[in-house]
Amino acid sequence: MPPRSSPTKTQSIYAPRPCRLLSVTDLTPQEKLFRLQLNDGSDLGHRPGQFVQVSVPGLTEAPISVASSPDRHGFFDLGIRRAGRLTTALHALQPGAQLGVRGPFGRPFQLETLTGKDLLLIAGGCGLAPLRSLLQYCEDHRNRFGVLHLLYGARSPADLMFKEDLHDWQKGACFNCRVTVDHSPADGCYDGATGLVTGLLDDLDLVPGRTVAVLVGPPPMYRPLLDALEHKGIAKESIMLSLERMMRCGIGKCGHCSIEHLLCCQDGPVFWLPEIEHLRGAL
Amino acid sequence: MSATLTTCPYCGTGCMLYLLSDEQGRLVGVEPSAGHPVSRGQLCVKGWNAHAFVHHPDRLKTPLIRRQGALVPAGWDEALNLVHQRFRQIASAHGPDSLVFFSSAKVGNEENYLLMKLARAGYGTNNVDHCARLCHSSTVTGLVETLGSGAMTNTVACLDETDLVLVIGSNTTEQHPLIGSRILQAVQRGCRLIVADGRRIKLSRHADLHLRHRNGTDVALLNGIMQQILELGLEDRDFINARTENFSALQQSLAAFTPDRVAAITGLQADEIIAAARMLGSAQRAMLFYAMGITQHSHGVDNVRAVSNLALLTGNLGRPGTGVNPLRGQNNVQGACDMGALPDVLTGYQKVADPAMRERFASAWGRPLPERPGLMATHAYDAALADRVRAFLVLGENPLLSEANQAHVAKALARLEFLVVVDIFPTETTAVADVVLPAACYAEKDGTFTSTERRVQRFRRALAPPGEARADWEILSALLERCGISADYTGPSQIMEEIAAVTPSYRGISYPRLEESGLQWPCPDHDHPGTPILHQQNCTRGKGRFSPVDFRPSRELPDAAYPLLLNTGRTGMHWHTGTMTRRSHLLDREEHSAFIEIHPEDAARLSIRDRQQVSVESRRGGVRVMATLTDRVPPGQVFMPFHFVEGAANALTNNALDPESGIPEFKVCGVRITPC
Amino acid sequence: MLKRLDRSDLEKLLSALATGYRLLTPQRLADGTRLLRPHGEGALALQGEPVQRKPTEAFFPQHDPLLRIGEQGEVTTCDPPVRPVALFGLNAADLGCIAFIDRFFADPPADDHYLARRKDALLVGLTGFSGPGGDVLPPANGMCDLELLAFGQNWLGVPWTPRGEALLEGFPDGEQAEVEELLESARTRGNPAQDLLEKAAGLVASEVVPDDFWREVGDRCILCSGCNLACPTCTCFCVEDRQEQAVTLRSRVWDSCQFDAFMREASGHNPLGTEALRTRRRIHHKLAADVTRWGEFGCLLCGRCDRVCPTGIGIQAVAAEILARFGP
Ligand SMILES: Cc1cc2nc3c(=O)[nH]c(=O)nc-3n(C[C@H](O)[C@H](O)[C@H](O)COP(=O)(O)OP(=O)(O)OC[C@H]3O[C@@H](n4cnc5c(N)ncnc54)[C@H](O)[C@@H]3O)c2cc1C
Ligand code: SF4
Ligand code: SF4
Ligand code: SF4
Repeated sequence: MPPRSSPTKTQSIYAPRPCRLLSVTDLTPQEKLFRLQLNDGSDLGHRPGQFVQVSVPGLTEAPISVASSPDRHGFFDLGIRRAGRLTTALHALQPGAQLGVRGPFGRPFQLETLTGKDLLLIAGGCGLAPLRSLLQYCEDHRNRFGVLHLLYGARSPADLMFKEDLHDWQKGACFNCRVTVDHSPADGCYDGATGLVTGLLDDLDLVPGRTVAVLVGPPPMYRPLLDALEHKGIAKESIMLSLERMMRCGIGKCGHCSIEHLLCCQDGPVFWLPEIEHLRGAL
Repeated sequence: MSATLTTCPYCGTGCMLYLLSDEQGRLVGVEPSAGHPVSRGQLCVKGWNAHAFVHHPDRLKTPLIRRQGALVPAGWDEALNLVHQRFRQIASAHGPDSLVFFSSAKVGNEENYLLMKLARAGYGTNNVDHCARLCHSSTVTGLVETLGSGAMTNTVACLDETDLVLVIGSNTTEQHPLIGSRILQAVQRGCRLIVADGRRIKLSRHADLHLRHRNGTDVALLNGIMQQILELGLEDRDFINARTENFSALQQSLAAFTPDRVAAITGLQADEIIAAARMLGSAQRAMLFYAMGITQHSHGVDNVRAVSNLALLTGNLGRPGTGVNPLRGQNNVQGACDMGALPDVLTGYQKVADPAMRERFASAWGRPLPERPGLMATHAYDAALADRVRAFLVLGENPLLSEANQAHVAKALARLEFLVVVDIFPTETTAVADVVLPAACYAEKDGTFTSTERRVQRFRRALAPPGEARADWEILSALLERCGISADYTGPSQIMEEIAAVTPSYRGISYPRLEESGLQWPCPDHDHPGTPILHQQNCTRGKGRFSPVDFRPSRELPDAAYPLLLNTGRTGMHWHTGTMTRRSHLLDREEHSAFIEIHPEDAARLSIRDRQQVSVESRRGGVRVMATLTDRVPPGQVFMPFHFVEGAANALTNNALDPESGIPEFKVCGVRITPC
Repeated sequence: MLKRLDRSDLEKLLSALATGYRLLTPQRLADGTRLLRPHGEGALALQGEPVQRKPTEAFFPQHDPLLRIGEQGEVTTCDPPVRPVALFGLNAADLGCIAFIDRFFADPPADDHYLARRKDALLVGLTGFSGPGGDVLPPANGMCDLELLAFGQNWLGVPWTPRGEALLEGFPDGEQAEVEELLESARTRGNPAQDLLEKAAGLVASEVVPDDFWREVGDRCILCSGCNLACPTCTCFCVEDRQEQAVTLRSRVWDSCQFDAFMREASGHNPLGTEALRTRRRIHHKLAADVTRWGEFGCLLCGRCDRVCPTGIGIQAVAAEILARFGP
């Protein structure tokens, strides 16, 4: 049997729950952070790695990962890139706007198996949004984990998401945080590392037997990263990654997110590498 | 819960399908007709989605009249009275020829008939035309001259018995998908296939020979092939002797089209031309298919003549599995032509210039008819700019997006004193109209369409029109009544009786006879079974006439300032200006924005990445679209579909017209591209 | 408890069904299309090829309104018609398909929208000598409320559920022996298509079918989507919103994995970016992926995709080609 997430109970699985937009913050020129609250005041009840279906009447729904820890109560965050029709409409919203969400859906990061481990958390581009819920969780439960490495790569300095968070993470003691950009403009404003995120791995001290790697990024990022991790001696069984695919329902019915026999929305989006590496079209 | 057997509203292939509705009468889906000879239980993606736009909230539901600059709802009587009154005023001030009537290949035969009756008998002008001007006017002109009839000579089912198919200038699997698939089936059973098309279209992947000649060099290619057929002695002498005339003129005209010269003009290899000649000359039965790639040129009529010459030379006419087969684009473009929605002919191509023909209609209609042939649609814009034309009635068309040189059309429409548009959705053209009349769509009314294989078949009402929208025939009847012409038809069936009475090729056609899969015209009497294959004993005009043509280059070729050749057309998912398909969820999801196909070599030179926004400019306008890098197009050529208002191909195209057919040169102009 | 029905018994059964249910029966329309239509609309066509439209549309229609969202964001679900549907005249393959998607939609999280239509619906199998020209159709052996096996001028009524049993009450008793001939005839015929499918599935699952083959097959696809739309086990959908006067109607619409945009993401990334990959997916999904996930083929050999594909690449045609080229 394929891995399953636990079923969620709601009235109709297609009915969005009303929620209110509390605030909107610019993250990059293409990305904004949306802070939302369910109208009934309750918590979303998600776990890091899960996503919601955001409903915009007239434009259907889009799957968006929750970018805040479940332990931060009274709201949840979504970091959203302007990619098409629905996300452009979201970017035009002002605080106070009414929206709908369904979920949370999907298999989260397996927190149980992470406890006591060193974590190698790697995000590329927009992937920092889903990872942020895990990062916050780690911050909130620092003593449950060993060493925490955070590697993050973006296209350019302007594309770095969550700059304030990054600043805190880099300064704070929680994470060994490294950031890189593919290209940096010659204006001298950026003094960090350049190059692909794989480059950040080279001189990183890891204890392979104790380390679990968690990867969230765009599809082309995974192959080279996996090669680099193999080089570092990280076993496949200790690699977890998130696979995002086109989704319409989030609950395993619409069929768009299937990879062979697996459905990213139900069996994922978070997978252990051995579950998917042999499947055509997964990586 | 009903299942209504009807005809697909998209292409001229003429598939039949069931529109399925639920308990509340809403359309919920489509199922192909199992027994129909063309659809045979199958459809293309547009047919499968033929229900999808019908309930779209954008549908026009009330008449609109422009007041203080804005279109505001009005009553039917008010709107119709205004239309009639303004038309009368303008006609009496400037003469009836200051009015122009655009009919539609999207509405039924009966409605086309009423519109041309309204123009001619109601308002006294022959200024009536429709979008066939933009698609197959070259065919009508060319084939009437050579064969006597401008229609597809054979029938789709002939593909099951042919030995060779030549497809030139038709992306058949995308534009006439159920004919394209029938060609693929023929290939599967061993039929040979030659595709002559600069683009690497799907059919070309299955072709025995793919000739990627330069756009606009079809005459040279076809002449070159014919020259070689003669050279190899593969012409059909018996057929030429018995059934044709003017052969020696053809022979002389071909002499200069040697393989080397043709290779130089077309960009092909000489042996490709010889191979094509050998295949065509030795096939027992060959079907020649063509579409807009042949017709939409400033030498479109010459292209058609060359195709016809090739068929006559090889004796591929009048038998099963042969023929000159122009694929008509719109579901009822054949019918709109048959119904005389053209400036020079009445129904069944009876010439207005012929007094006997005029008399036939004058006595049927009780009105004298104008003698002088009217304006072609493509000339009407110039006439409007010169104030020779002052009012348009546009029925179910969106010329602001579909005509070549958008800026020119926009200027002409703005110049008009009065513009009436009848449509089912708001369009770019309704936006500038003085009166907009909401029409019922194909699913909401009865009537007949005539498919590309001359099959007259029924479409049927499956549900009521939205709001106050009315069937076009009701709208036109109301205007006829205002002109004092009795038009109290009980329905389209009765209009068809009137059509049959004045049209020899439709004389045997009546609704009871169309119940199942229709009848192919000519159908001269009530017992006649219809005519799947034309020109069997003799051509319609008697002898088939060879009509020699010389090669003329396109009017605007790439040059230093505009170095790339722009080819335009359609995609498989969308229909024309997208009024319906862009409101059909799946089709819109499949392709929801404008793009331009660029060869990777050209893209590399211009530093253009895949999916990047680029600006495309011609001498007439510029647009921004997304670049799609693909080797479907040859280097030096780019391709754009004309479906998208936000990246309108026709802002760029050249309205250079064929001198005989008046068709614009949609397929060739020069553009330059820069990354944004 | 078996029953024996003659023609007038059959009519009685049908009128009993018509009082409690929206009864759909197989009928042949003017152009020759055989469809399930409201009972009484036209003449019954008790023999023939499978009904052309997939019967699963009764529970999962091509355009399926899910809910309405009001101006204030309030949500009302679109409920199924009050009277449940009874589908009469299904063959074993179609009943198998319904059972397949029943399990799919009921799998947690269950699709309440589907189940609401399906819950009280009644399925009547029609097998035995009721194929084209009276040809024999294999018995369904369950998967329905009651089954009618046609033999001679009669039907053997087999109840499979209490509801089926109740409906058959009062009809004269029948004997298994009466249908021995037809069972024998169905047995001797075997199921060559099933054998073909199994062999091809083995080749597909073990990845011996090269990409070039899929390219060649995919090159023929004209992207009509018919294979998916016609298939009773295809459940993929996309979601459409329509807004009228500030009220949004959200519906699901049959989708097709042969479409380029089926998995194309906003970024342009497309895991199924070629016809070859998509055609492989469609076949692989039914013959291999479904076996891994659900333990059985996603194809019950209803025959529709082969009938509807304009270019001859339905599942059986492809399976035959695979076997011919890569088989032992
Ligand atoms: C599990 C998951 C988590 C995601 N998390 C985030 C996130 O945290 N932040 C973020 O910015 N983006 C995220 N995405 C991607 C995001 O869903 C798409 O960018 C978004 O759907 C684009 O919708 P659109 O209407 O703006 O674009 P359009 O191109 O107009 O899309 C049309 C439709 O296609 C679908 N679609 C298009 N691209 C995708 C895609 N990549 N994935 C799924 N469906 C798609 C959408 O449902 C949308 O309604 C996530 C995707 C998945 C599958
Ligand atoms: S081929 Fe043409 S007529 Fe047939 S379904 Fe497609 S669009 Fe309609
Ligand atoms: S035969 Fe085709 S349509 Fe029928 S179940 Fe199998 S795959 Fe689906
Ligand atoms: S039915 Fe055939 S042509 Fe149509 S999408 Fe399916 S495979 Fe392609």
